[in-house]
Amino acid sequence: MWARISLRLLRQELKRGELTVMALAIVLSVTAVLSLSVFSDRLQQGLMNRSSEFLAADRVLSSRREIPQQWLDKAQSMQLSVAWKVMFNSMAYAKQQLQLVDIKAVSKGYPLRGQLKIAQQPFAEGQATTKLPETGHAWVDSRLLQSLQLTIGDRIELGRSSFIISQVLSYEPDVGFSVFTDSPNVLIRRSDLAATGLIQPGSRVRYNLLLSGSEQNLADYYQWLKPKLNGDTYRWRSVEDGDSPLARSLRRAEQFMLLASLLGVILAATAVAVAAQRYCQRNYDVVAILKTLGAGTSTIRKIFIFHLLMLTLLSIAIGWLLGWAIQAAVIHYVAQQLGETLPNAGWQPYALAATTGFVSAVMFTLYPLLRLLTIPPLRVLRRNLSSSLTARWLQWLFCGGTIYFLLVIYSQQWWLSTALFAGGGVAVAILLLISRGFIRLSRQAGMQAGSAWRLAMAGLQRRASSNSVQMLSFATAIMLLLLVIALRNELLNDWQRQLPADAPNYFAVNVAADDVQNMQQRFAEQDVETTDFYPVVPGRLTHINDIVLVDEASKEGPEKQPQQEVREGVGRELSLTWRETLPPNNEVVDGAWWQPNANPQVSVETRIAERLKIALGDQLTFDIGGEVFSVPVTSIRDADWNSLQPNFYMIFNPQTLADFSTSYITSFYLPAARKNELYSLLKPYPEVSLIDLDAIVAQLREVVAQVSLAIIYVLVLVIIAGALVLVAQVQASMEERQKELVILRTLGAPGTLLRRSVSYEFLIMGAISGLIASIAMDLSLALLQTQVFGMDAIWHWRFWLIGPLAGAIVVALLGRLSCQQLLRKNTAELIRHWV
Amino acid sequence: MLIKTTQLEKRVETSEGPLQILHPIDLQINAGDSVAVVGASGSGKSTLLSLLAGLDLASAGRVEIDGEDLQQLDEEQRAKVRADKIGFIFQSFLLVPSLTALENVMLPAELAGNSEARQQAKQMLDSVGLGERAHHYPNQLSGGEQQRVAIARAFIGKPKILFADEPTGNLDAKTGEKIEQLLFQLNQQQGTTLIVVTHDNKLAQRCSRKLTMAAGRLTEEQ
Ligand SMILES: Nc1ncnc2c1ncn2[C@@H]1O[C@H](COP(=O)(O)OP(=O)(O)OP(=O)(O)O)[C@@H](O)[C@H]1O
Ligand SMILES: [Mg+2]
Repeated sequence: MWARISLRLLRQELKRGELTVMALAIVLSVTAVLSLSVFSDRLQQGLMNRSSEFLAADRVLSSRREIPQQWLDKAQSMQLSVAWKVMFNSMAYAKQQLQLVDIKAVSKGYPLRGQLKIAQQPFAEGQATTKLPETGHAWVDSRLLQSLQLTIGDRIELGRSSFIISQVLSYEPDVGFSVFTDSPNVLIRRSDLAATGLIQPGSRVRYNLLLSGSEQNLADYYQWLKPKLNGDTYRWRSVEDGDSPLARSLRRAEQFMLLASLLGVILAATAVAVAAQRYCQRNYDVVAILKTLGAGTSTIRKIFIFHLLMLTLLSIAIGWLLGWAIQAAVIHYVAQQLGETLPNAGWQPYALAATTGFVSAVMFTLYPLLRLLTIPPLRVLRRNLSSSLTARWLQWLFCGGTIYFLLVIYSQQWWLSTALFAGGGVAVAILLLISRGFIRLSRQAGMQAGSAWRLAMAGLQRRASSNSVQMLSFATAIMLLLLVIALRNELLNDWQRQLPADAPNYFAVNVAADDVQNMQQRFAEQDVETTDFYPVVPGRLTHINDIVLVDEASKEGPEKQPQQEVREGVGRELSLTWRETLPPNNEVVDGAWWQPNANPQVSVETRIAERLKIALGDQLTFDIGGEVFSVPVTSIRDADWNSLQPNFYMIFNPQTLADFSTSYITSFYLPAARKNELYSLLKPYPEVSLIDLDAIVAQLREVVAQVSLAIIYVLVLVIIAGALVLVAQVQASMEERQKELVILRTLGAPGTLLRRSVSYEFLIMGAISGLIASIAMDLSLALLQTQVFGMDAIWHWRFWLIGPLAGAIVVALLGRLSCQQLLRKNTAELIRHWV
Repeated sequence: MLIKTTQLEKRVETSEGPLQILHPIDLQINAGDSVAVVGASGSGKSTLLSLLAGLDLASAGRVEIDGEDLQQLDEEQRAKVRADKIGFIFQSFLLVPSLTALENVMLPAELAGNSEARQQAKQMLDSVGLGERAHHYPNQLSGGEQQRVAIARAFIGKPKILFADEPTGNLDAKTGEKIEQLLFQLNQQQGTTLIVVTHDNKLAQRCSRKLTMAAGRLTEEQ
C-alpha cells in the first residue's frame, strides 16, 4: 500500500518536474565521479604507458652485476613481459677510425613500452618498427654515421665481432635527455654480445631487466624480489620516481585531476544537499495531510524512504548511462585526435560513482527527512507549524561526515582529504561570519537608497541567517569554479613555458671554438634562433675533499663500495663548462654566483650534489686530460631539466677552465617544414654532430595535449556542478520569498518594483559571495600552488574584480528569471497556491 | 455517546508567560448530531477541533471518542483512530498538489488498506460532481472544485465523525452554499456526525446544535 502511494508520488512529481533539481544533482554527482575516475584512470594509464616509454618498460631492475636468469624466469611466470638490455661503453672501429660508442645489447621484446624508429638515411624521419637487428647486424645512431663517414651496409667492428650496419636508429624511447653528453648509440642483439668478447670481469657494464605488465603483477613481483636485492647492487626504477622530464609534469597533472575532481564531487554533493533540503520542505504539507488522514509514522517513513530510494536509484542509473556515454565519447575523441587507444577501466569507477550518488543522496537528505517525518499533523490547522526537531548540528555532522567520507574514498589519500576538509571547514566558518557581517552592513547602506533597494535590504535582513547559508553555497560554488579555472591556467601556462612552440628541437654538439662566431652569424642570417653557446670540456671528478671516488679500474670490487651508485653518473667523463653569468632557467639555491675575475671555483647542480653528498665549501678535484686541479664549491644550483636547453652538472667560472681546449654546444629550433635545410645549414661545420630531439619534444607535446584535454573536461564538469548549485539555491531561496512576494503583490506593489527588489537582493548576495569567493580562492590557490604543486604563488587581482561581478550578474539573473516566472501568473492564481 | 470531553483545557507557554487558550470544557456529542461551532476570530475554535480530532494533545482533561481516551494513546494510535473514524475538511483545502483529484480522494482509502480505493474514489468524485475532472491536478481546479475534492476525500472512508474548519471560508457565497448543500447531503446519506467551525450563520442554522466559543469558553445555545 505504502509502496503504491510512494511510487505514485514519485511518478507524478517526476512528471511535474518537481524532482528535477534533486535528480539532476544526483545524476551529476554520479556522472562526474564515474566519468572522471574512468577518464583519469584511463588517461593516467595511457600517460603512464606513454611515459613508460622513457624507460622502455614499466619497471627496470638495473645492476652492475649480471642479473640471475631465474629472476627473469620468475617474472615471466608471473605474467610479466620481460627483456634484457645490457649497456656499456666501447670503442667502435670502422674505416680505420675509432669512435667511442654506447653499445646497447637487447633481447627479444625490447622495447616493452614505446617503439624504435628506423630509417635508411641519417637524420631522416624514421619508421616505427617492432623488429630488432638481425644476428650480425647493428643499428646505429645518425651521429655515428656522420662522424665516421659511414653509410648503410658498411661494416663496423665491436671487439672481436664485425657487424653490418643495416638501419639508422632515428628514435629510441629510452634514449633520455642527457643525450648530448653521451656517445652515439649502437644497438645489437644480446645473443651477439658474448662473441664480441667486450665484457670482461671488471668492465663497466650495466645490466637491465625490463619488466612490464599489470600494476598488481608488478607489485607482486617486487614483493618477491625485494628480499633478494640486498646491498646497493640493484636499483629498481619506475617512471614516476625517475628523473624523466615528464615525471614532474605528470605528477602535477595527476594531482590537478584529483583535486579538480574532488572539488567537482564536493560541488555536486552540495547541489544534492541544497536540493534535498528543498525536497523535504516541499513535502511538509504532504506529511501533515497524510498524518491527518490517519497514516502512521511508520507508513509515512516507508513512503518517503522508498520514494527517496527509488529517486536515488533511478538517478544513479541515469548517471551511469550518462557517465559511460561521456567517457566513451571522450575516449573515442582521444583515440581519434591523438591516435591513442586508452586501456580499459574496470568496474570500480561504477561502484565508486554509485556509492557517491547513494551516500550523498541518503546522508544529505537524512536531517531534512528526520525533520519531515516529525512534522506534526496539527500543521493542517496551524499552517506555520514546523518540525520540533531543530538540531542544526546534526545537519552539519551528517553533511560534514559525508563530504569527508567522499573525499577519502575518492582520493584514497588521508592527508589530502583531511587537509582539504579542515581547510574547507575553516573557510566555511569564515564565510559564514563574513557574509553575516556584510548583510548587517548592507542594511545601513540600504537605508538611504530608493524603495526597491530598501525592500531588497529589508529582505536580506529578515532572512539573514538563511541568507548567510545561501551565500555560503553561492560563494562555495563560485570559489571552486574560480579555483579550478585559475589552477588550470597556471598549469597550462607552466607547461607552455616549458614547451614553447619554438622549444629547441636540435642540439649541435662539438662545435669548434673558432666556428662559434661564424655559426652564430650564419644561423641568425638564416633566421634560426640558437640558445647560448656553451663551452664543453670533458673531464673527470676524482676527489671530493680528498676522498677518492673509486675509478672503474680500481682493484676493490665495485660492489663493496658504498659509493657505488654515486660513481655511476660521474665515473665516466663529465661535461664541464664555464660561464660568466648564471644560465637562464637556473637558480642558485645555496651560496652565491661568482663575481667577475674571481678565484677558481665551481657551481654544482642540486641533484648531483645530493647524490654525491657535495656541500657548499667542499673541495672538488677534477682531472682534465691528465691535468689535475682542485676548486671549492661556491654555489649549489637548480637547473630546469624540463627545459630543452643544455644543462650542466658542473659549471666553473671562466678563470678555471679558460686555458683548456674546448668545443661548444648549442641548441636551436628548426620547424619541421625546414628540415631539409639542415644539411646546408651545417655543411660548413663537418665536425659538428647533431642530436635530433624532435621525437621527444613531440611526445612531450602529446602528453600535454592529452592532459589539457582532460583538464578542460574537468573544468566543464565543475562548471556544470557549480551552475547546478546556483540554480538549486536560487530556486530554494525563491520559494522562501514567494509567499512574501505574493502578499506584496496583492497589496498592490507593481511588478517592476518586486522584480527589481528581488534582482537587487540577489545582486547583493551574488556580489558579496563573489568577493568572498575570490579572496578565499586566491588564498587556497596560493596554498595549493606552494604546498601541492611546488609552483610559486601568484596573486590574481583580476579575479577579485571578476568574482564579485560574475557572481552578482549570474545570481541576479537566475533570481530574476525565477521571479519573473512567478510574477507572470496573475495575483488570484498566486494567492490560491501560496496563501 | 460518540465524543465526550471532561475538563478539557489548553494552555501554551509564550514569551509573555502562559496563555490559556481553552478554559475547562465539558462537551458531549451523540452520533448523528450536527454541531456548529461559532465565535470570534482567535477565540479557540480551531484549537478545540484539533483536540477533538487528536491532532494535538490537551494540557489537562480528557477527550473520548467512541469510548477511547485520546490522551492515553500515542501518536501512532491516534493516527489509527483518525484513519478509522474521522474525516477532515479545511478552509485551505489541503490537497496534495502533486496528486490528481482522483488520487487525492483515493489516499485515505488506500491508507486504510482498501483494495477498491480507485473505484470508490471514482464514485465519490462522481457524487460531488467532479467525475470529469478526476485526472486534473489541484492547481487546475477552482477553489470550490478543490473543496469538493476535499469533501470527497473526507467521505470516502465513511467516517463516523467529520470535522470541518471553516469549509466555506475561502469561497464566495454562492459556491459556499453549494459546498454546504453537498456537505449536509453526504452527511445525511452516511449518517455522519458533523462538527463544523464556521462564521457563516446560515451554515450554523442548518446544524442541530450550535456552540459558541468566546475567549476560550464554550457555551451552547438551546
Ligand atoms: N501554539 C500556540 N502558541 C501561542 N498561541 C497559540 C497557539 N495555539 C493557539 N494560539 C492562540 O490561541 C488562540 C486561539 O487560536 P485558534 O486558532 O484556535 O482560534 P480560532 O478561533 O480558530 O480563530 P479563527 O477564527 O481566526 O481561525 C489564538 O489567539 C492563537 O493565537
Ligand atoms: Mg481557526
